[in-house]
Amino acid sequence: MPVTEPVLTRRIPTHPWGDPAKRRTISYDDFVATGGYKALEKALATEPAKIVEMVKESQLRGRGGAGFPCGLKWTFLPPPDGGRRYLAVNCDEAEPGTFKDRLLVDFDPHLVLEGIAIACYACRLDTAYFFIRGEYHHQAKVFQRAIDEAYAAGIFGPGGLLKGRSDFAVDIHLHRGAGAYICGEETGLLEAVEGKRGWPRIKPPFPAVKGLFGRPTIVNNVETLAAVGPIVERGVTWWTGMGCESRVGGAPSYGPKLMGVSGHVARPGVYEVDLGIPLRRLVEEHCLGMRRGRRFKGAIAGGVSMGILGPDQFDAPMDFDIGRTHDVMGLGTACPTVFDEETDMVAVARNIARFFKNESCGQCTPCREGAGWLFKLLCRIERGEATSRDLDMAIEIAGSMGIIPGTTICGLADGNNWAVRTIINKYRPEFEARLKPRFVSIGVPVRA
Amino acid sequence: MAWIAKPSGTAKIERRDEPYLTASMRERFERELLPRYETRQGALLPILHEIQHAWGHIPHQAMLEIAAFLGLRPADVLDTVTFYEEFTTRPRGECVIGVCQSIACEVCGHQELLDRIRQKLGIEPGETTDDGKFTLITMECLGSCDTAPVALVNETLHEGLTAERLEQIVDEAARSERAPHGPC
Repeated sequence: MPVTEPVLTRRIPTHPWGDPAKRRTISYDDFVATGGYKALEKALATEPAKIVEMVKESQLRGRGGAGFPCGLKWTFLPPPDGGRRYLAVNCDEAEPGTFKDRLLVDFDPHLVLEGIAIACYACRLDTAYFFIRGEYHHQAKVFQRAIDEAYAAGIFGPGGLLKGRSDFAVDIHLHRGAGAYICGEETGLLEAVEGKRGWPRIKPPFPAVKGLFGRPTIVNNVETLAAVGPIVERGVTWWTGMGCESRVGGAPSYGPKLMGVSGHVARPGVYEVDLGIPLRRLVEEHCLGMRRGRRFKGAIAGGVSMGILGPDQFDAPMDFDIGRTHDVMGLGTACPTVFDEETDMVAVARNIARFFKNESCGQCTPCREGAGWLFKLLCRIERGEATSRDLDMAIEIAGSMGIIPGTTICGLADGNNWAVRTIINKYRPEFEARLKPRFVSIGVPVRA
Repeated sequence: MAWIAKPSGTAKIERRDEPYLTASMRERFERELLPRYETRQGALLPILHEIQHAWGHIPHQAMLEIAAFLGLRPADVLDTVTFYEEFTTRPRGECVIGVCQSIACEVCGHQELLDRIRQKLGIEPGETTDDGKFTLITMECLGSCDTAPVALVNETLHEGLTAERLEQIVDEAARSERAPHGPC
């Protein structure tokens, strides 16, 4: 059964169910009046371990980019030892093309807070940090107001969850980032909360064992946590009825997903659809087709790190298997940026390479140096000053950086690697047309 | 991000008698911020945000004061400050125009916005006008790709921009008087 009603966007008017012009921030009172915090009430009447089990059964996969099973991540926590345990909510959302979490924070912050409260109760986490990127000035204010409302209503605070319904007490604090993409990487985020530069940590130890201030920590994306409330309230069978099974015999992609479409489409925006929806349907039905009736040329799969879907991959199903079937790294945040036939793909590659050059944290040499060189090479190709040797070198450098080749600590360089390589591979003639001819020695010395 | 060589050994720190971190700020941080974190360093980012917001930049003297307040080495504070783009150690214009240059904005026409501001104010990205009124910067994805191109003017996001609209926003900013810097 596909998504027949809005789930995460229940209170946020979204096509085809509502008119985005009518969106407004849902206050605590509005939230409660429309059945809010009922899931938390239900959760508090259940054993914490049962909630974890339920989320595990729902096969909810992380919505932040990696698609890691959320319930499984929760089970990595060691048993409580009386010390502090943390939840770090990842609202860094700095991946170019991605703007789905902003929608939830802007208009339905209490849905996120309810998910946070349930996650803290289920995993016995006593303190939550809501890490929001520095550029989200307005959203930080909206969310802080929602936190204040929730404290005033007794959801959080020393008196125990939900006005003392449970004697387990949770505190939540908003923590603003300050303009660093790398803080969206889970351990970079932890460093930023500790007041340090956002340099990712070497894993293991994983955050679930040794995270914030050396204590067990769960890091979850905003959308993932927002989905926890509906799952608890309406059950696992309902959740797994949406989305799709795996096409390659792997883990399924269940549930609805927020997909934010940008670029050359007639009606860009965030849509809530089934996982597995073909990109073509997403663009043609939800976004009303391509802008100015032009033809599709390609699309970033879900945030620039994931690489590009070529002109012949318009029908790609948007599920977690996409990385194994369509030569991209993965689904990422499921927020595609769509390009029409007039787009210069060399410029796209150069733009993305510049992004990674600017955002490399500088900790690992292959990423710090490689990103700079990739950008320079792509600029040279764009200006028409490069030879075929430069193009080969760009591919070689790109392919050597990241966790997958085993040369860096975090996945930032893998994003650069995949973005640049897939664009060059899928649009090679366009790159070659920009190259200068190279004169090769044929072995006859001029002055013999 | 953090790769600007700084002559730290020979740099002179400008000092003034009045502290940046006032007694009332210290008291408020101690009461509101520090209990939120396990270590005192945890409060560093929120404190830096306040200083950046109040003064438009983070003066070196303020860093020394923060280091003393949190029990850190001044180098630790400098380390964090220079890592994050939002924190600047030098003053910028009263009005900072940040044009998004990431992929969705580039394919939807961010270049026109940049060119218009360049022409109008006679500055390149990274520069400040001589009267200290405007600074133009380019920024990476501002998370509003559905309404590209966008720009962040001080702390307000302007969406679905045209060159004309951005020019209008800049004109409005030029007319308005901003309150002088100071602790909030």
